[in-house]
Amino acid sequence: MIEDEIYRSSSQFRLWSFTEASLKQLRATTNSVASDRVRAALRRAQDARRSATSSTTGTPAPGSDAENKAAEDKQIECLTPEEEQQVVDYYSEQIIQLGENYKPPLPTIVRATAIQYLRRFYLTNSPMTYHPKQIMPCALFLATKTDNYYLSLRQFAEGVPGQTSADDIIAPEFLVMQSLRFTFDVRHPFRGLEGGIMELRAISQGQGQPAPHLQPSQTPEDLRRALLSLSPSSATANTMNDRISRAHHSTREILKAAAQITDAYFLYTPAQIWLSAFLLADRPLAEFYLDTKLGGPIISSSSTNHDQNPLYALRTKLLTTLANCSALLQAYKPFASDEARMKTLKRIVGKKLYHCQNPEKANIAGQKRIPAAAAAAAAAAAAAGESGTSESEMERLAKKRKLERGSETKDLFGGELVTQRTKERQMEGDQQQ
Amino acid sequence: MAVSPLVPHASSVAASSSNAGNKFENDSGINPPNKTKRSSSPQRMKNPDREITEQLNDDVRHKYIKDKKLGEGTYAVVFLGHLRTDPSSFVAIKKIKVNAEYKDGLSMDAIREVKYLQELSHPNIIALHDVFSSKDQNLNLVLEYLPRGDLEMLIRDSNIHYGAADVKAWMGMLARGVWFCHENYILHRDIKPNNLLVAADGEVKLADFGLARSFADPYLNMTHQVITRWYRPPELLFGARQYSGAVDVWSMGMVFAELLLRVPFVAGNSDLDQISKICEAFGTPTEENWPGVTRLPNYIPADPNHIVPLQGRDFFLRQFPTAGPVGADLLMSMCTLDPRKRGTACQILQHGWWLAEPKPTKKQDLPRKVGGTKKMGDDLTRRGGELDDTSFKNAARQLDFGAARD
Repeated sequence: MIEDEIYRSSSQFRLWSFTEASLKQLRATTNSVASDRVRAALRRAQDARRSATSSTTGTPAPGSDAENKAAEDKQIECLTPEEEQQVVDYYSEQIIQLGENYKPPLPTIVRATAIQYLRRFYLTNSPMTYHPKQIMPCALFLATKTDNYYLSLRQFAEGVPGQTSADDIIAPEFLVMQSLRFTFDVRHPFRGLEGGIMELRAISQGQGQPAPHLQPSQTPEDLRRALLSLSPSSATANTMNDRISRAHHSTREILKAAAQITDAYFLYTPAQIWLSAFLLADRPLAEFYLDTKLGGPIISSSSTNHDQNPLYALRTKLLTTLANCSALLQAYKPFASDEARMKTLKRIVGKKLYHCQNPEKANIAGQKRIPAAAAAAAAAAAAAGESGTSESEMERLAKKRKLERGSETKDLFGGELVTQRTKERQMEGDQQQ
Repeated sequence: MAVSPLVPHASSVAASSSNAGNKFENDSGINPPNKTKRSSSPQRMKNPDREITEQLNDDVRHKYIKDKKLGEGTYAVVFLGHLRTDPSSFVAIKKIKVNAEYKDGLSMDAIREVKYLQELSHPNIIALHDVFSSKDQNLNLVLEYLPRGDLEMLIRDSNIHYGAADVKAWMGMLARGVWFCHENYILHRDIKPNNLLVAADGEVKLADFGLARSFADPYLNMTHQVITRWYRPPELLFGARQYSGAVDVWSMGMVFAELLLRVPFVAGNSDLDQISKICEAFGTPTEENWPGVTRLPNYIPADPNHIVPLQGRDFFLRQFPTAGPVGADLLMSMCTLDPRKRGTACQILQHGWWLAEPKPTKKQDLPRKVGGTKKMGDDLTRRGGELDDTSFKNAARQLDFGAARD
């Protein structure tokens, strides 16, 4: 059995791997279903309000219903799939920040798993239905459980800024798990990177193992010499070790951010991701590493004919895939370093998303036990337009949203709060020292 | 080979329709049925609370029908069920109770079991066909139906006679299951006879992944409070926080010994007693036979006047004559005190015993017992790490998570 077979049996491959086209298609479907449902929910809310007013005034609402509805639909401007993507990317970044809030900071793996949970969640859910600020802490808490980094919910809640209670954090857990289709395993590129780095270090010491199919023509000493003569040439094993360390570090940084906040996990395998990141960090070193596996300049130096390398076709195919993945990773820019993108995001989250948030989904905690039944009942009551309670429910939700908006104008995303709190803690820490 | 979801299971219809069909169809995207795409569908207006994910869940739930209850524990209820489309394709539906005391959401046992079974597909590991939630937010695991009880039942029943060839068949199936876990970087951490269930065709299946976890990265700690005491290796009893697949191999050795003797081989009534029984049986761990053992956190210095020398091959042959010389050698490699010298699951599978006479019994000819359905119900509702005998209930359940992160 080879590793590929094991990977193909993983849930990551079976459920969470896509082509670019199928990924786009899925997001478009999710967006259109959610948009329809948001419009319908907002219409129900408006109907409820109108029937309440008309029953108090005793006169029927003027104008034909159909006209009104058409007008309202125009007013309700939903997010596009691209805008939804921006929002999810932003909250993915926020998970990295939130992880810094803990002492010690949450492990990279836990944060990476949480980000993938969030991104998987929003493949079949829209931010218009469930606001990411509610889902994000829950995804992170779930990741601490699935990645064996145990914190009690109470401990965890202390690290979450704002007025988020433990109940708020745990409320969407079942919803999140269901959206993850009860698959919790995420295969990361980090472990593969560690292995590759170990192999390169061994080679630099003259202890490298040539690939079985390249033996016995290749010896550990051949490998060592080839590594040390890499351009820009570095003469000693020491300088090579430093170079490997630097490449290791830069690759990890790419894996921690760019690989997480792009679609890399949906489109590529963990091995492809770390190799692509490695290519960006130190291309000659990465190419050398690939050659030790697939053959290449090292073995074909005597014969420049590519056809002599039986793995040539595979190598070419792999390099194309890696180039595509590298391009994806390289295109990533964090929001903080991209003012224009941040401005767009503020518009999307602050204005647009606020107006197209599904009012029937705002209170996840309230829906916890029997969400379907409760929401259906509320909707039915609202649709019937007779219930005073449903109206007050709508008012309550509106008020809640207003309150939330109130706090949002100060701190729209919670992001600044996170850093603020981190800063405070750092200051506390400084004082203690 | 092993990964193929088309390996015939006892309820192969359920297996192929879920593992193969459902899980692979997603290449085309997790698209909802067509009707949901039509924005003005009256059906959707009538039923407005069907999110895409809820619909996917409903689709899974409607595939099965729950029949009678097979067992009930504090942690779960197990039902017999069948595919809606085929009343003869049985499944076991394990409904995990929402634990009111556990305020931190879904319990770790349930998370672990679901996480790892979702990744493992092998003839000697219980198949998880599907997972769905019922509307009161209970988690339902649709598991392979294993109606023939477990190995513990066969070991304890004095009316059942079995020999070396049968033991070889059972151990072979166990070893393949454990090997597959380790090949996927997963430690089971609770191998014992009543977690080894028997399918209708006689195949043995490793079950209960409530204590499983993936291998930790080098230098990261894990908890040592795992594996039911009688099957717990010495390194865990000494509090090792970094360990490997060797812990499962020790448990396998204990199961092997128990199959041969028909009683647990080293059955301590406390952790301390377990250590002293292991020393008496296999020898006292020392720096000579196990370099580094004295530095383990809970290492207890041996009484210098009572050092048992490491047992050799002749001891195992004497104690376990049924195994034969080659079998005794295999058992000895599983029961090596130093985990670094213990055989790996892969080495176990390459041992000469499997090829030696007698050949393993064909699975359809293995001794069988009726009344296994109830046993399956009991086995699946029990929490990991528990001994059935209540007087020997131990503390393996109290996982020390706080300390586990140090």
